[in-house]
Amino acid sequence: MRTVRTFRSLGAAVVAALLVIVSAPAAAGAEPPPEPVASRTEVSISSVDLDGPAVSTVKVTVKNAGPQRMRSLRVSFAGPAGWAVQPAVTSVAGAFGVDATAAAEFRIQVPEKRDGFALRTFTATAAYAGGDGAGSATATRTQTNGAPLADLAAAYDNVGITDEGNTGPGDYDGEGNSFSAQKLAAAGLEPGGRVEALGAELTWPDVAPGTKDNVTGAGQAITLNGKGSKLVLLGSGVTGGATGTATVYYADGTSTRGPFGFPNWSFDPADAHGATLVASTDGRNRPDGYGNAGIAYRVFAHSVPLDPAKQVEFVVLPSNRNVHVFDMAIAP
Amino acid sequence: MPEIPAVSRRSLLGGALATGAVAVGAGSARAEPAGPGAVLPAPTPRRRRDQKSMIGVPYDVHETVRVGVIGIGNRGRGMGEGWAVVPGCRVTAVCDIRANRAKALADRLVALGKPRPAEYGGSEDAYTKMLKRDDIDLVYIATPWEFHHRQGRDALLAGKHVVVELPIATELDELWDLVDTSERTRRHLMLSENCSYGRNELAMLKMAHEGLFGDVTNGHGGYLHDLRSLLFSDTYYTDSWRRLWHTRSTASFYAMHGLAPVAAAMDVNRGDRMTVLRATATEPKGLADYRERFVDRSHPSWKETYVNGDLVTCLIDTAKGRVIRAEHDVSSPRPYSRINSLAGSRGIFEDYAGTSSTGGRIYVEPDHSGHSWRDFDSYRKEFDHWLWKKIGDDAANNGGHGGMDYVLQWRTVQLMRAGLVPDIDVYDSASWCSPVPLSVTSLAAGGRPVEVPDFTRGSWVNLRLGLDSRETNMPPVA
Repeated sequence: MRTVRTFRSLGAAVVAALLVIVSAPAAAGAEPPPEPVASRTEVSISSVDLDGPAVSTVKVTVKNAGPQRMRSLRVSFAGPAGWAVQPAVTSVAGAFGVDATAAAEFRIQVPEKRDGFALRTFTATAAYAGGDGAGSATATRTQTNGAPLADLAAAYDNVGITDEGNTGPGDYDGEGNSFSAQKLAAAGLEPGGRVEALGAELTWPDVAPGTKDNVTGAGQAITLNGKGSKLVLLGSGVTGGATGTATVYYADGTSTRGPFGFPNWSFDPADAHGATLVASTDGRNRPDGYGNAGIAYRVFAHSVPLDPAKQVEFVVLPSNRNVHVFDMAIAP
Repeated sequence: MPEIPAVSRRSLLGGALATGAVAVGAGSARAEPAGPGAVLPAPTPRRRRDQKSMIGVPYDVHETVRVGVIGIGNRGRGMGEGWAVVPGCRVTAVCDIRANRAKALADRLVALGKPRPAEYGGSEDAYTKMLKRDDIDLVYIATPWEFHHRQGRDALLAGKHVVVELPIATELDELWDLVDTSERTRRHLMLSENCSYGRNELAMLKMAHEGLFGDVTNGHGGYLHDLRSLLFSDTYYTDSWRRLWHTRSTASFYAMHGLAPVAAAMDVNRGDRMTVLRATATEPKGLADYRERFVDRSHPSWKETYVNGDLVTCLIDTAKGRVIRAEHDVSSPRPYSRINSLAGSRGIFEDYAGTSSTGGRIYVEPDHSGHSWRDFDSYRKEFDHWLWKKIGDDAANNGGHGGMDYVLQWRTVQLMRAGLVPDIDVYDSASWCSPVPLSVTSLAAGGRPVEVPDFTRGSWVNLRLGLDSRETNMPPVA
């Protein structure tokens, strides 16, 4: 199920904005590059009215904070994939001086606002000559609709643990296989039990075997409060390529992103993708009962760094269903 | 539905569609653009000074929408009843060349507890008398295709808004004429494209706007309906008018039911536009084979030769680099389908393909992986259009074609009563019908690409709402 749909109906929209400015070096073959400078061109995107279906107007402002007059300015704007924008690029005639601003207007087709949580990211890029000499600058603005899920348990969408006496409900890997609750307990992972990993205190899902107990990555936004040095995720992968990026949003509206990945629950090296082994169980539950004894099925931990000065508000999981997460927590 | 002998009806026809064999000659007689693969042009006529665009023009507010019906065959009879049951709508006049049909519909409306409409009929131009009435706001036309342009034009000139069954016209100059007449008279004309109000089609549209498919790159639609038994029926299509079209021309006669929803999901005329069409056609086998097996040798159809390909496929490019495949096949044995498929950088939807209750299937990232389709049911529920949430039950009780007819009629009446901008305007209608003549031109030129006219005359670049509308209430009935 898609992220938005899995979220509960929420009331008033919460809007947070994030502005990131990145300058790129001038293209090869252009005028001789000036001495390296810190980016001084400022690009900003006005708030986008998300009350669709509608065609909303967006203003992108470019401020020339460089030492030279800015000219040949072209501004492009884009919304989330599939959202039509008119025009995609616009040129600003003439040149403008230091500290002067230029604005470009765009129209964007906004879909109907529905129940649940959604992140909407907008990007504007200014390409220019002169100014700070960087050649281009980009801004992104992220707005949200609704509120994130209350906790990870609210996003559980997969049955990864079953009793050896009733393996039918399990489907951790898409082929009807699952962890054995008995073998997990033997490895120290029991419902509601504490799990220490990478400096964080996590909790093993406190649910009965055969019920939904983990989240597969689909861009879900999960509420998580606290401060710390890193976000620790507990889980493992299925098939191949169980990797992605976790995006952490802070109370001040900013965010950081960190890549992570889990080895396949069985066949990858235990340190694949930089993960750390937490527990290893013997065999697995198959649709017809316990089996594959002698083969290890494992749980790992991985982390992404946090800005320790900021209060974490929510985490957006990667959009990769091969990533299974049993819990996540903030490490001091 | 007006009826005239088949021979005299043919004599009414002009242009490429009327004369399939001539169409080849006409196509080859065009001024050839440079290069064998060059696009055959379709020039845009200059807009007259006394006309301006109808884009974004709202209807005047009508407390009650008073409808006049022209053509009371199978389609007109059902839709005539349908208009009458929409809140705030009244059928005030009905017309058919066969007066007994007008009377039958009037009787039926009275039996339903509705006011008796005035009756017109008995001649081919009886409808012109009806158009002189001042108690008609909207004219609904459900006559054979060859009459649509003339009757639609006359209704506009009489100051009425118009809803025309598919197609609104069959020739390019006729399509332009309807656009221009709408702009001059300041009256709306819309294609009665009920499938654009289909529940799956509207959900597909809303999913596209949400970005579920990522950047939409292609879509497929069509009208694949085994009509063979109806085409050879002596009673279903009056004077066999529809079968006779298959003797005249090779064309994509009626692909709009599948094309329009895909075009809407691509925002054609609302940020994108169809630019180039190329057509292919199979040999015409289906009707002759059916006749051979099932039609008595004494039947008049045995004097006919069928020239329209069983499967006519149009590939249509858009300005944004998308491709639409529109198919038409009414003469082959096959289950019904309008295809309804839309695909992009992040997923695909296909209708008429799944086993779910909606008949659709879907595959979108990141929800899905593993190369296997998923049921559409939960997606349709999530992306259900407000019209279906609001009046879906009424539609099921009142409308044909799964309720699509009622939704179209209810929404049209709502737009007129509330004074809103139409979801489907004359530009959409002309664009969606343009593959009819354009396919003739392309096929006559061996499948050469043909320019698709920009009926908006440049305004297609502007984003605007259409079928993905904002929810509004039907004004209360006094």
